[in-house]
Amino acid sequence: MMSVRSANREDGPVKVSGAAAYAADHHPDGLAYGYLLTSTVARGTLLAMDTAAAERAPGVIAVYTPFNPLDVRPFLKEGGAELAAPLQDTRIRYHGQAVGLVVAETFEQARDAAALVTARYDADRPRASFADGLAGAEPPATGAPAQEVLADGVASIDEALAASDVTITATYTTPAETHVAMEPHATVASWTGGRLTIHTATQGVRLAVERLSEALAMDPADIRVINPYVGGGFGNKWATWAHTPLTAAAARVLGRPVKTVLTREQVFTVVGHRPLTSQTVSLGASADGTLVAVRNDGVSSRSASNSFYEAVADLSLSMYDAPNLHASRKVVTLDVPVTTIMRAPSESNGSFALESAMDELADALGMDPLDLRRKNDSSRHPVSGLPWSSKHLDECYTLGAERFGWSRRGRVPGAVADGDWLVGMGMGTATFGAFRSEASINVRLRDDGRVVVSGTAADLGTGQSTVFAILAADVLGIPVERVIPDLGDSATPPAVSAGGSGSTSGNGPAVRLAAQAARDALVKLAAEHEKSPFHGQEVTYAGGEVGDGGRAMPFGELLALLGLPDLDATATSPRNASQSHAFRSFGAHFCEVRVNRWTGEPRVTRWLSVVDAGTIVNAKAARSQIVGGVVMGIGQALLEDLRIEPGTGRFGNATMADYLVPVNADIPPIEVEFLNYPDTLLSDLGARGIGELSIVGAAGAVANAVHNATGRRVRDLPITLDKLL
Amino acid sequence: MRAFDFAAPHDVAGALDLAGGSSAFLAGGTTLVDLMKLEVMTPEQVIDINRLPLRGVRQEPDGLRFGALERMEDAARHPDVAGRYPVISQALLLSASPQLRNMASLGGNLLQRTRCGYFRDVTTPCNKRAPGSGCPALHGDNRGHAVLGTSDSCVATHPSDLAVALVALDASVRLRGADGERTVPLADFYLRPGDTPHQENVLRLGELVTEIVVPDLPWAANSAYVKVRDRQSYEFALASAAVAVDLRDGRVRDARVAVGGVGTVPWRLPAVEAALRAGESHEAAAALAAEGARPLAGNAFKVTLAQRAILRALAELAERR
Ligand SMILES: Cc1cc2nc3c(=O)[nH]c(=O)nc-3n(C[C@H](O)[C@H](O)[C@H](O)COP(=O)(O)OP(=O)(O)OC[C@H]3O[C@@H](n4cnc5c(N)ncnc54)[C@H](O)[C@@H]3O)c2cc1C
Ligand code: SF4
Repeated sequence: MMSVRSANREDGPVKVSGAAAYAADHHPDGLAYGYLLTSTVARGTLLAMDTAAAERAPGVIAVYTPFNPLDVRPFLKEGGAELAAPLQDTRIRYHGQAVGLVVAETFEQARDAAALVTARYDADRPRASFADGLAGAEPPATGAPAQEVLADGVASIDEALAASDVTITATYTTPAETHVAMEPHATVASWTGGRLTIHTATQGVRLAVERLSEALAMDPADIRVINPYVGGGFGNKWATWAHTPLTAAAARVLGRPVKTVLTREQVFTVVGHRPLTSQTVSLGASADGTLVAVRNDGVSSRSASNSFYEAVADLSLSMYDAPNLHASRKVVTLDVPVTTIMRAPSESNGSFALESAMDELADALGMDPLDLRRKNDSSRHPVSGLPWSSKHLDECYTLGAERFGWSRRGRVPGAVADGDWLVGMGMGTATFGAFRSEASINVRLRDDGRVVVSGTAADLGTGQSTVFAILAADVLGIPVERVIPDLGDSATPPAVSAGGSGSTSGNGPAVRLAAQAARDALVKLAAEHEKSPFHGQEVTYAGGEVGDGGRAMPFGELLALLGLPDLDATATSPRNASQSHAFRSFGAHFCEVRVNRWTGEPRVTRWLSVVDAGTIVNAKAARSQIVGGVVMGIGQALLEDLRIEPGTGRFGNATMADYLVPVNADIPPIEVEFLNYPDTLLSDLGARGIGELSIVGAAGAVANAVHNATGRRVRDLPITLDKLL
Repeated sequence: MRAFDFAAPHDVAGALDLAGGSSAFLAGGTTLVDLMKLEVMTPEQVIDINRLPLRGVRQEPDGLRFGALERMEDAARHPDVAGRYPVISQALLLSASPQLRNMASLGGNLLQRTRCGYFRDVTTPCNKRAPGSGCPALHGDNRGHAVLGTSDSCVATHPSDLAVALVALDASVRLRGADGERTVPLADFYLRPGDTPHQENVLRLGELVTEIVVPDLPWAANSAYVKVRDRQSYEFALASAAVAVDLRDGRVRDARVAVGGVGTVPWRLPAVEAALRAGESHEAAAALAAEGARPLAGNAFKVTLAQRAILRALAELAERR
């Protein structure tokens, strides 16, 4: 077992100094600038667009619209993306849809010209109210509409609920949210002959190649996507969005590179958002707190422009032990921008409902909510019955309760005050599925003594590139600084894209295999190359040097001596095919919330997360990941709310000033504790994922603390002060 | 942003000579440049007034005078302001962010435009921006909008925190135009929307705000600004209260109360002040803040919140004694 490291980010200096080139920072020779035009109605038909003034405006090269389209085909695979290709028809599907691209010599000229374009619509009234749509919610077109497990002799979930000593039923709702990553989506496209090179903000260069090959009807081999730095994604850079194929298609017809950067406002509509959800949860328990039945009927919004929805009730099947379980899925279709994945899709909203409901049940039972969770902790997956590969949730609970001072929590809501502030404590369970996807990595030892680790992985600011450096350095026994991670280039071996918290769990084992393969190749070379000083000897490798027991030589020197610039090896780590276990990460959040007795503002004042996520490769970056998820969870609990205007389908607060995410002042000191038990059934590295885990359970913990502080149970996120007055 | 001419005169006379027509004075630019980028404001000429000698805070016989170009952060930290008028200092420090406060001027703060999302989005109708086009906020996204002083034409709040504190303190603004100088009480400076929401104040075309005058009020040392919002920083008020009380022997002799975030203009509350002077309970007095309130679908809570903000300020001030 490797020791736990705490390394600085290898990409820290270039990011802090501004030297890191993000997608929009590329300026190939002859670059022209694109500016997207977007619709101002949510549903209907585009009748005409007047582009004459824009075409005459200074510097304008071309104005593309559905009446003068670019050649762009629909994506074949959805993956949370939009299904209709942009500019190929005159249908308006949502407010803020791409309906044109102005290309000019400068960005300012493109923007000015865009303001001169006028459009005429035949507008219909959009379906824009989730609440109004709930009564007519329908089973989804994709995915099982319901899953159920019943104990022997039980006829229905309702029968199981009816037979419980204590039951609670409540409905929990969550609003649309959006990712607002720091880096706006940007694409720079250049063509050389029939080959396309593209810099585009993406969570996976391979995914972008696939989507572009579909949209541009090209051989994927002729497309290279390069994007080593990503300024945050949170799911929103998984799919490829309209501006990317449009920019590439414009560059193709114009015969010069084109760059398009979405405006901050366009980042709210041209790319996707998290759906609204509603969950009606019933929990039934025996008098001692043993769960008898769990039922969750979940509804999610879905954009008419794609099929993505949150299977929000499903988490209720994977958490607490109960002999009778039922989860269902329905969708409400709205004429709104595309619904897509956002950090812990389904699970973070799912946990808000389940964790709130668990506290409501604890209240009804007169039990401590932590004791109730402990009592119903599952040792096997409640549906499949498979044992968990490595689960130490109980230790998270125990350690967290002790560290946080859970015993000081007021048993009666509203009992603790500090001046004008009512004080409450709450907790919630974190969980997220663990995967190991197939990944290939290349490790190249160079004659300058440095090592390049390549694969198509992405570092969204997570620390993935530093994980590459640490793992390769460990296998090769060299300092981390001598490893050069090379991510985000589709010309490198196919590694795992940044999604589903699967980067380290999938790429990590591959990096180790490739480093071992490179080391083995080096040893072989040293023993077999005629000019090698170790020719014919028994060669060993340690600490970056090859040797034969007597002499030793750094690998760079050996390569130089042999006249070889480098030596490389590629290895593939397979996907996890285990049928014998269920794999998940777990954790426990504890928080303190204060609510002002006069004006109702809820403020989170303390936080502790105890995390059971397998091996932690880099404690420093891992802590940041957990903190980031908690911050986002606090935003989800108290602030985030992308409001859809019922009459128009327009987002009412689609600006960075009006879509509230937490600022520093909203965030208390956050303590993070890792248990660090390797999950050796998942991989020899033993690392699961941590990118999404910590947002799960966070909003529930806040809601539970608000209840403990005030006696008010808010079941509709965000918990804003008007709900507490 | 549209192309514009730019000038940077050295004195007030030079600035006034240039002003008029489609021109705009540029102070810190934190409102103007923002709205020019959004094409909500499209001046043909921008007159940078930062070289004008309109800075500083000084005591004069008629009160404390602030130059219109004094920066928000500097004014807030000025010892006379922080010591004698904490309500002003707090209102400023609870505004925007340090970076913005270092750029933004007091004059510009009083003249900043509403944060109504429709006003700021030129693809939507808005009576204030495009007179006669309609007011989508009446039945749209209006959680942040006003409940006091509204009309069927416009329900936008005045966003300034500073203005709320100044209205409570009977401050005036000194204006200079082609026709000379005049002084206008801030309470009369702002106009309620009525049928003409595009007319927000009595400033004439090309007129310059040169100074802000705050009359002496010894008991303003016992004043506070309570600002309530969803997040703890970097946000405008959902409701705010500027309160000063003259407390002697535990009894309220006099009081000043104004609220922000709830009115179409900074909202002074003489009825609440009178009730406090008359010795009514805080609760009974604060309840009068709701008089004439016209809540919309999304903002009914503001009627209660404004009263609570007043109560919280009163409680803080009572505790301090
Ligand atoms: C993100 C953000 C958050 C903010 N939060 C808050 C907040 O919480 N509370 C708050 O009160 N404010 C807030 N503000 C508003 C900010 O305080 C104002 O933008 C600022 O005070 C304006 O001052 P300025 O000098 O930059 O004005 P400018 O932008 O330069 O000018 C504003 C307007 O006033 C005119 N003008 C300026 N000076 C004069 C003068 N002397 N005579 C005549 N006309 C003049 C200009 O022509 C323009 O129309 C926020 C702003 C931003 C961008
Ligand atoms: S409230 Fe006023 S500013 Fe807002 S849309 Fe209506 S008229 Fe325009």
